[in-house]
Amino acid sequence: MKVTLNWLKQYVDFNWSPEELAERLTMLGLEVEGVQKIGGEFEGVVVAQVLTRDKHPNADKLSLCRVNDGQGERQIVCGAQNFQAGDKVPMILPGWTLPAKPGEEPMTIKIGKIRGVESQGMMCSPKELGLAEEAEGLLILPADAKVGQSFAEHLGRSGSDVIYDLEITPNRPDLNSVIGIAREISAVSGNPLRLPEINLDEISSASATALVSVRIEDDELCPRYVARVVRDVKVGPSPDWLRQALEKIGIRSISNVVDVTNYVMIEIGQPLHAFDYHLLGKNADSHDGCPTIVIRCAADGEKFIALDGSERTLTNQMLLIADETKPIALAGVMGGQNTEINASTVDVLIESAYFKPQNIRATSKQLDLRTESSYRFERGGDVGICDWANRRAAQLILQTAGGQLAASVVDGYPRVAEPKQITLRHSKVNQLLGVEISPVTNMQYLRQLGLEVTGEHEGQLCTVKIPTFRVDLKREVDLIEEIARLYGVEKIPATPPRGAIGANAYDAVHDQLAEARRILTGLGVNESQGQTLISETAAQMAAGSAAAQIIPLQNPLSSDMNVLRPGLVPGLLDALRHNLNRKNGDVTLFEIGRVFAQVNGQVREERRLAIALTGKRNSTFWSGEEREARMDVYDLKGLLEEFFEQFGARGLSYVRCAEPNALFLESATIQLGKQSLGELGQLVPTAAKRYDLRDAVLVAELNLDLLLARRNTAKPFKSLPAFPAIRRDVAMIVPEIATHEDVLSAVKQAKAQHLEAVELFDVFRGKNVPAGQKSVAYAFTYRNPERTLTDAEVNSVHEKLVEQFKQKLQAVVREG
Amino acid sequence: MGPSVFVFMSFTDQIEPLKQSALTELRVASDLVMLEQARVDYVGVHGKFTSLLKQLGSLPKEERPAAGKLLNQAKVELESALAERRNELELKAALPKEPTDFTLPGRRPTLGKLHPLTQVTEDIIRSFRKIGFVVADGPEVENEYHCFDALNTPADHPARDAQDTFYLSTPNKALLRTHTSSVQIRVMEKQQPPIRIIVPGRVYRRDNADATHNPTFQQIEGLYVDKGVTVGDLKGTVEFVFKELLGADVKIRFRPHYFSYTEPSFEIDFSSALVKKMGKAWLEIAGCGMVHPQVFETVGYDPEVWTGWAFGFGIERIAMIRYGINDIRLFYENDVRFLRQF
Repeated sequence: MKVTLNWLKQYVDFNWSPEELAERLTMLGLEVEGVQKIGGEFEGVVVAQVLTRDKHPNADKLSLCRVNDGQGERQIVCGAQNFQAGDKVPMILPGWTLPAKPGEEPMTIKIGKIRGVESQGMMCSPKELGLAEEAEGLLILPADAKVGQSFAEHLGRSGSDVIYDLEITPNRPDLNSVIGIAREISAVSGNPLRLPEINLDEISSASATALVSVRIEDDELCPRYVARVVRDVKVGPSPDWLRQALEKIGIRSISNVVDVTNYVMIEIGQPLHAFDYHLLGKNADSHDGCPTIVIRCAADGEKFIALDGSERTLTNQMLLIADETKPIALAGVMGGQNTEINASTVDVLIESAYFKPQNIRATSKQLDLRTESSYRFERGGDVGICDWANRRAAQLILQTAGGQLAASVVDGYPRVAEPKQITLRHSKVNQLLGVEISPVTNMQYLRQLGLEVTGEHEGQLCTVKIPTFRVDLKREVDLIEEIARLYGVEKIPATPPRGAIGANAYDAVHDQLAEARRILTGLGVNESQGQTLISETAAQMAAGSAAAQIIPLQNPLSSDMNVLRPGLVPGLLDALRHNLNRKNGDVTLFEIGRVFAQVNGQVREERRLAIALTGKRNSTFWSGEEREARMDVYDLKGLLEEFFEQFGARGLSYVRCAEPNALFLESATIQLGKQSLGELGQLVPTAAKRYDLRDAVLVAELNLDLLLARRNTAKPFKSLPAFPAIRRDVAMIVPEIATHEDVLSAVKQAKAQHLEAVELFDVFRGKNVPAGQKSVAYAFTYRNPERTLTDAEVNSVHEKLVEQFKQKLQAVVREG
Repeated sequence: MGPSVFVFMSFTDQIEPLKQSALTELRVASDLVMLEQARVDYVGVHGKFTSLLKQLGSLPKEERPAAGKLLNQAKVELESALAERRNELELKAALPKEPTDFTLPGRRPTLGKLHPLTQVTEDIIRSFRKIGFVVADGPEVENEYHCFDALNTPADHPARDAQDTFYLSTPNKALLRTHTSSVQIRVMEKQQPPIRIIVPGRVYRRDNADATHNPTFQQIEGLYVDKGVTVGDLKGTVEFVFKELLGADVKIRFRPHYFSYTEPSFEIDFSSALVKKMGKAWLEIAGCGMVHPQVFETVGYDPEVWTGWAFGFGIERIAMIRYGINDIRLFYENDVRFLRQF
């Protein structure tokens, strides 16, 4: 909502500076989004005429002029060359200041001597006036410029003003008007609100009720319709005051009659429409040919050409203003071309109505047609102001376009709105705001807002009658807010934090997630946060066999973001691609976030952890063999193992997946007991290619909710060993199919006494190892916590273990 | 001095010159090999000093104690000189051939970084937890009831439009929550007051991505419900948290505003040296207000008994202000050069 300072001052007195007003409005809840000062910038500049131009006696390049400023003659020394006697130019008088250029001090003109000759002012170039970036010489004005007129007036920018651009919250439709804002200023300043006085001379020779009748077919969609007729108007350009008032706030001036309807809409917030009375269809059956305004819903498919010239097809949900034969306006949105005010309009019908906000909103949205009128109606107008606005418009039409007002009014208002009443308990004000405000003050604030207040119950209560323009005031708490606004929120003292300690089951979960993040960053992985909305293609890749569970958006913004992510891997791959495209080839990322699936018609949200690694294993260094080593699946596996151990996940196993899938070249499911926790592996080359990834990409994703549920954070202390351990190494050749897990289960089956730890320290293929086989070397640590073991004891246990390997794994144990 | 002279010197007179000569040899030994040679020459099994020791037995009995004492003193002295020289030479031998360049970069293990949004969220949560708040959570896929109806949003409010809110192609008109405020309702449905929670989480609005918008972004919500909670409490808590978060020099301002689920409602502006540097007096940072009695009635709390406040703000906005980040999309691109700055 745009409003100007001068317009506001018509209704309320205040002597705040433009900045102070902006501050006051902001603190009342009318946020000022822009302040623009206009006019006033040419103060002291007048239209002057050069009478004579002679050479300066002491300077070749200067001239000495006599100039008429409208009041008298002045002597001026001038350096410009582009003018002659008789030219009209802008001149700034001594004592006034030229507009400052950015970063420069403003220049004030003084009477002074230039090369020994007095100069009493300065003739100006467009640049000096801030009208152009560059200029050669003086601004020469048209020959018909009025000598002595202020330059601003000459430009049509008379008088200074300030334009405010205000953000009006949707609950306050009354503030989409100058008077509404003035009322707020009145409330906060205590100065009275002055509404324009409307005294109308009506002619008795014609009566509106005889000229038009109104039929409201749906009084829910149109609770009120007011019509007046002004006859014998002369449509023409608006007077300056009207044109300028509208233009300052960005509304184009059209004609006096149309401008009045716009002016009154901005003034009081009630949208109006003016019809050319003679273009309304006369009733064939009525003897005097009086038209009837019908407020009805459109027929499905009915066509209508609005003022903007385009034809629209309507639905039966859309409200129309019609005569008996044709639609003449799209109710509350835009008038029709067929009854538009035009140069030959003589009689005008002024419409002022109230329409159901939801209906106007739906129509305006469906037709994608938004106007100042629809904006106001859809936010909820003031059903009580229709007649006042209609009279005001009549008054201004008479004033600007002449004519006579037909007597009386047609006011279709079948169910007159009863003003609401709200009871306010003064104690509640203090309880909610946390500050003592006296009942007298409360009531005073409410009265200043234009509410009718009656004190009751020895000052404990008051009853407040709510005028129709305050649709936002519905219950007691709304009145308390009004009191808070006028009291000043800044004056309510802040209470240091106090009160109950909260409790919520999720609180501990939050800490667990934070701990997982902390461990992962400690392991050198950076946290990533991907988009929740991803492309269906990426989602299908990640979801694999669960693709049917992917949840599409009904109204996506684009095909890049048309489903909810079923997994976190696509987001991580996007991040890898982004990094690789920017030459960050070594990337370790993890994300903890939610994924979505649709299972049996129910949406399931699951917390996941995903990790992606690619590029060099070690950070950059300037020497050493391992410098260029790239990460492989065991980097990821090791990371996960350490994470699981630190996080308290036990009993994990890894089962290799037999076949490559859409995501993985080689992978394994991570089993937590009998449940599948997730998957890890190397990204399949087709996927890597799709994301422009070159090095091996290692990826894991797991169900964090399951991990949290199965997490064991107990940390039982074990005494440090008091007796020495004995280590035995075994190097053996086993078939390729024998896994580490197989070795461990063979160990387990051997039930070797005092075996404390098993550690794999070498896997080798090649020289001296037959094809299809591999050499593995393990270290076994034996320890008795009670005493020192002897070699003999260990040997007998260890031999059984080796025997187990030979039998279970077909191992050939390498001696020595 | 010739060998013939030596022969005729007394036994004790031989000790001191031999010791001096041994000490000289130890001193001149420039590496551990030479030192070992010197050791063998003097105190080895066939060394000169060892052979002198062996002659001790051939001295007359009365001369032996004094000579023995002298010999012992010399031997102790030699051994300690030997040990000292060995330490010196071992240290010398341990040094690398070329001195280490301590200005060279080291082999550096790298710590992963938490995402800046996580860091900001954690900071906010830490401040709230100091004053008794706990973290709560709720679903991101919501229904109209929890996202709008229960929050007193009018039935035809534009926020519900498919223009602004993402709806899912599911049978039950599910949507992506547009604010974390839906969790207020979920928590109040389950728990009786007092309530003191904060809710961080992702929210969704149907805005095309640009420097200030991303269809996914993050909010944090605070809700406090108890007996006798006032606007003063709201102000006090907000001021506490923002001072923790943005520095003690920040000024906080409350401006009346409108939200459907609070009454009265306010927007919160802050001012600080940072804001002034941006050429502004105030910067809007959050919305808040006293929980609307209608919301309490909807969840079954008696608004005559309970009052409360709620407030919420965007985490990206705080992070952008705090770090001077000018494009919200950076948060979701996960460029490691970006992530590693925080």
